[in-house]
Amino acid sequence: MSATRFTNQSDYGVGIGLRIPHYQHILERKPLVDWFEIISENYMVDAGRPLHVLDQILERYRVVQHGVSMYFGNAARPNRGHLKKLKALTKRTNTPWLSDHLCWGSVDGRYTHDLLPMPYTWEAVEFTARNIREVQDFVEVPVAVENVSSYAEFHASEMTEWEFLCEVVERADCGILLDVNNIYVSSQNHTFDPLDYVNAVPADRVAQIHIAGHTKYERFILDTHDHPVIDPVWKIYKRAIERCGRTATLLEWDDKIPSFEEVHREALKATRYLPQSERVKIEAAA
Amino acid sequence: MMSQVLFRPLTSADGMQPEWTDGKPTADVVAGFIKPNDRLTAFERLEIYNQQYWWRLLGVFQEDFQGLRSVLGVRKFDRLAIAYLQVHGSSTWSLRDLGQHLVSFLDTHPELTEPKSALASDMARVEWAKVIAFDGPALPLLDPQRIVRTPPDRLILRLQPYVTLLELRHPIDHMLKRLRENVRASARASNAMSGSRQGAPRLLTAKASRDPIYLAVHRRDFSVYYKRLEPEAYRLLVALRNASSLADACAIAFAHSKVPETEAAEKIRNWFQVWMQLGWLTR
Repeated sequence: MSATRFTNQSDYGVGIGLRIPHYQHILERKPLVDWFEIISENYMVDAGRPLHVLDQILERYRVVQHGVSMYFGNAARPNRGHLKKLKALTKRTNTPWLSDHLCWGSVDGRYTHDLLPMPYTWEAVEFTARNIREVQDFVEVPVAVENVSSYAEFHASEMTEWEFLCEVVERADCGILLDVNNIYVSSQNHTFDPLDYVNAVPADRVAQIHIAGHTKYERFILDTHDHPVIDPVWKIYKRAIERCGRTATLLEWDDKIPSFEEVHREALKATRYLPQSERVKIEAAA
Repeated sequence: MMSQVLFRPLTSADGMQPEWTDGKPTADVVAGFIKPNDRLTAFERLEIYNQQYWWRLLGVFQEDFQGLRSVLGVRKFDRLAIAYLQVHGSSTWSLRDLGQHLVSFLDTHPELTEPKSALASDMARVEWAKVIAFDGPALPLLDPQRIVRTPPDRLILRLQPYVTLLELRHPIDHMLKRLRENVRASARASNAMSGSRQGAPRLLTAKASRDPIYLAVHRRDFSVYYKRLEPEAYRLLVALRNASSLADACAIAFAHSKVPETEAAEKIRNWFQVWMQLGWLTR
């Protein structure tokens, strides 16, 4: 939902992920884009080209931070050094909220750099919510947690993924970044109805939605972000918007990246389902 | 338990190892905590993650050390990469630091790079220096007036942290330029999409130089560059990095030099002019 406490009362429409192959096009042609999502870790550096480009982007565009290695689902508490760098970046970008994934990814100081699925247990609910609260308190920006695509399930799980997500966000009192492509991928890999997932999510907590493409193999689907969004995913998106209303929407395209125009065109297909903002309605009426 | 499975290297056929550390079938170990579904066994489901882990890390390592890969060849490089990553998996949230221990690892494992160990070591040092130069921290620039105002024996200058000074035996800067040209040429010759793991590179080789090659790896206008240094200039910069005063650094630089004293002063003046322009000197 737009303009809630989970989005810092901001109203964002359709954005795309800021990716290196598009830097030149964006900086030279300055296309009209509602907002960009950046991968926080790519800019949590001391100096050099990444920050130079980011500063130029920030002069003209709104940016939202998306992380890939906070690992809320780690049994260990969030890394302080990581948190400090993340907070410093939020000051630079003025991100209205930030997101990361409902997963684990490092153990005993060794990082997998993957978004690993969790056993959906009550114990995991507790430490995951604790970690999210700790991050949110430290960075002083609303946090949204994103559901991940998964390829494996645990015997130890005591609830469904969406029940787990609901329990975690309630206890952490945080927002949700609902990735409808991830819901589709996991629904195919684990055989459940994706609409059951969308219908169970607390709509008032959804701060942002991700859309993306994936790769279908013979016996499973991989979340590759290297294709256009397929119709069944748009169907899930449509349902999510029916429930959540106007919500900041972001297309992820991370591999075999086509031209900027093609990526932006694909993202803007979301406007078929997205209600207009109040500001646009007022301007149109005037 | 899941992490132990993921961190185990893949088989030569890029699959998950069928035998667990205690000799039991891995399938039995994995079935103890992962559910199968109607299409995949528990082993196959976890194998997806095992593969993703290794392919991701190997892809990043390969991208950071393309020159080393061209020196060693694909098979030898892959063997080195797996051996290295087993000991030095990623220990930070950023994959940028993945190669931070490679130079010391090569020093202690020459058997992985023989008979090109010296060349491999030089290449790894320059490629790691490139990582540092790309986004390493930058300190405020030195006020030129400070050099003028402070007596040389009390003047301590610092070098930007993103500048790496190297003494090499091989012309790595020229080799990397050749590699870049090879990559450009092969990109022009094919329209094929590039995957995360590149194909076999053209092998790069070079004879060891009779005299040391002194190289600074640095950045300017947000791009990484190499700059060859005269021996005395290298020694001067190393001395500054080691916190010598300007006077001491100059003395160290020309201690065993054949450069006449009259020319030395002129050289120092010119070097400092260039280094100031490049933004290497800091407070």
